[in-house]
Amino acid sequence: MRRALLVVVFLALAVPGAAFAHASLKTETPSFGEELKVSPRRVVLQFDQTVDALPRGIQVLTPGGKNLAGKPYVITAQRQLVASLPKLPRGPYTIRWQALSNDGHIVSGVYTFGVGVPAPPVTAAVGAQGPTGTEDVVRWLYFVALALLVGGLGFRLLILRGQPLPARAERRFFWVTGIGVVAILQVGIVAFLLRGEDMLQLPFSLFIYGDLSPLANGTRYGEAFIAMTLGFALTAAALYLAWLVERRWLLWLAFALGLVFASGLSLSGHSAADPPHSWLSELADYAHLTAAMLWVGGLVSMIVVVWHGAPELRRTAFLRFSRMATVLVAVLLAAGTYLSILRLPHVSDLWTTGYGQVLLVKLSLVALALLWGAAHHFLAAPRLAAGDGGTLFSRLGRSMLGESAVAMAVLLVAAVLVDSKPPPQPAPRAPVAAHDSRR
Amino acid sequence: MIVAGLMPQAEFVHWWFATGFLMLGLVLLAEALVGPEVWRKRAWRPYVWPSLCFAMGIFMWPVMTFFTNSAIHMVAHGSWAEVLMLCGAAELGVARGKLHSQYWRLTSSLALIVSGTAFLVHEQNAWMFSRAAFLHHTLGWTALICAVFPFVLAFRPRSLVAATGFATFFVLLAVLLYCDRDVAPIFGHFSQFAGVPHR
Repeated sequence: MRRALLVVVFLALAVPGAAFAHASLKTETPSFGEELKVSPRRVVLQFDQTVDALPRGIQVLTPGGKNLAGKPYVITAQRQLVASLPKLPRGPYTIRWQALSNDGHIVSGVYTFGVGVPAPPVTAAVGAQGPTGTEDVVRWLYFVALALLVGGLGFRLLILRGQPLPARAERRFFWVTGIGVVAILQVGIVAFLLRGEDMLQLPFSLFIYGDLSPLANGTRYGEAFIAMTLGFALTAAALYLAWLVERRWLLWLAFALGLVFASGLSLSGHSAADPPHSWLSELADYAHLTAAMLWVGGLVSMIVVVWHGAPELRRTAFLRFSRMATVLVAVLLAAGTYLSILRLPHVSDLWTTGYGQVLLVKLSLVALALLWGAAHHFLAAPRLAAGDGGTLFSRLGRSMLGESAVAMAVLLVAAVLVDSKPPPQPAPRAPVAAHDSRR
Repeated sequence: MIVAGLMPQAEFVHWWFATGFLMLGLVLLAEALVGPEVWRKRAWRPYVWPSLCFAMGIFMWPVMTFFTNSAIHMVAHGSWAEVLMLCGAAELGVARGKLHSQYWRLTSSLALIVSGTAFLVHEQNAWMFSRAAFLHHTLGWTALICAVFPFVLAFRPRSLVAATGFATFFVLLAVLLYCDRDVAPIFGHFSQFAGVPHR
């Protein structure tokens, strides 16, 4: 009886009917990011529901912005939107489409393809724009959130290892990391939508029904967004369960998940996408990012969790963090130097290109933060180790607050840097032909 | 491409969640009918519905990330994922004894308000002859109205009417999500005024 019931339930779920809401694009010819050998004769967009054609329903744009598509029309029970094409010369093309969905909404989208050449990424489609100032701020918030989560967990598990925390400090720790993981999810969604807006370039009323799947499924950025959102949702669950059932291994799980999924930034950024990139550049970027998150997040946790939540642990935590910060700074500098050399082929790029100038500002701020940290390490730490305390603690608290403010400024400049385009690499020297060498 | 090939149809996903909400509703209904004293005779029982709610929130994230063919759907699915996790987390905290205030129950009310608003905002059609528009409006207004039940429960935890109403909401939600097909005998394509059926 039970088995029969299960079979019935399974069959009921396995026999589909139809879908919800607006028309969605199911297939398209040419497809997203396709490199065609010959010119297509027409564009065909297949929807899951009936649609009506709009006057500029399909535009096939050359890099110069000229539309080559004919007037669009619908066929096959109103589910295919079609536009004929002349013979397209070799080159990259952008398709911008719009259709009136049966429920009255206008659905829109954009994607790219190439004839005889690789298709450009959809973020470089004709009419798309690069990251805006708002996106710089959003990316900065993302970095801060990541630092709170990863740095906060690292601080709790590595610096405060073996130290039972008073309830007040424990609560503060969960607040810091909880805010971090929730902000990562929220800010990540906002960042993705802003990137989609850059790509679609539609007014808000049309953007909300815009198709973001070419961005989600056809770019490294989109794939990283999917992986990171799912990963950090699991991290949030692990962190919450660690608080609920008070199991340390769940904190380690959250820390491991946070470290693993933070790599999405390195695997989708300049170090993975722009030449000359290699596994080494991706690894260096990841090491740079992780060290920065552990340092900045650790600093914030030191102030919020220990300085104000567990004063009895100040000395131990400060001395341990000071030792770990030395290692982190070494990693940060080594990886940062390697990446700078990789992205700026000439020293003069530092002051002649926009990317270099932003990097100079970042280096200045990093130098200030390092000096601040060095003062803590070489002046304050020995006094604390010798048993000094009292007023030193309150001065150190204020000083660390200043250091964290500089660290936040570094993250803001890093966000601008990530959204900037590095200068182009010099073209590789052409191999000398045999007949040339004989001359 | 591999992921695209494995993607279930949208209606399947709605039905899976409908099944989850049906289970949620039946558990809550059982608790309302037998009363909290009998329900808590087994230590694991108070954890059942909050755990289910929390788990459904986690499972909603893949829906948000893999169904990106409309920005507003993405945002709506994201908001449901968040409020399901929030509601489950708060109720689990209360059940475990980590949260002490009964006002944490207000998160359920908040979850229903956010969910209902998301349903209404992501379907802006004024007319309701088609299945999609009708379902969105029904789901949205039902969630908004039923938000009163957990609100009352936060102040009067022993209210049978509020507990039953809260449980019934999830059963109703499940029924409406199961109706997610144009050719369904109920809530299908209502009128030719809305044009030809979508499917």
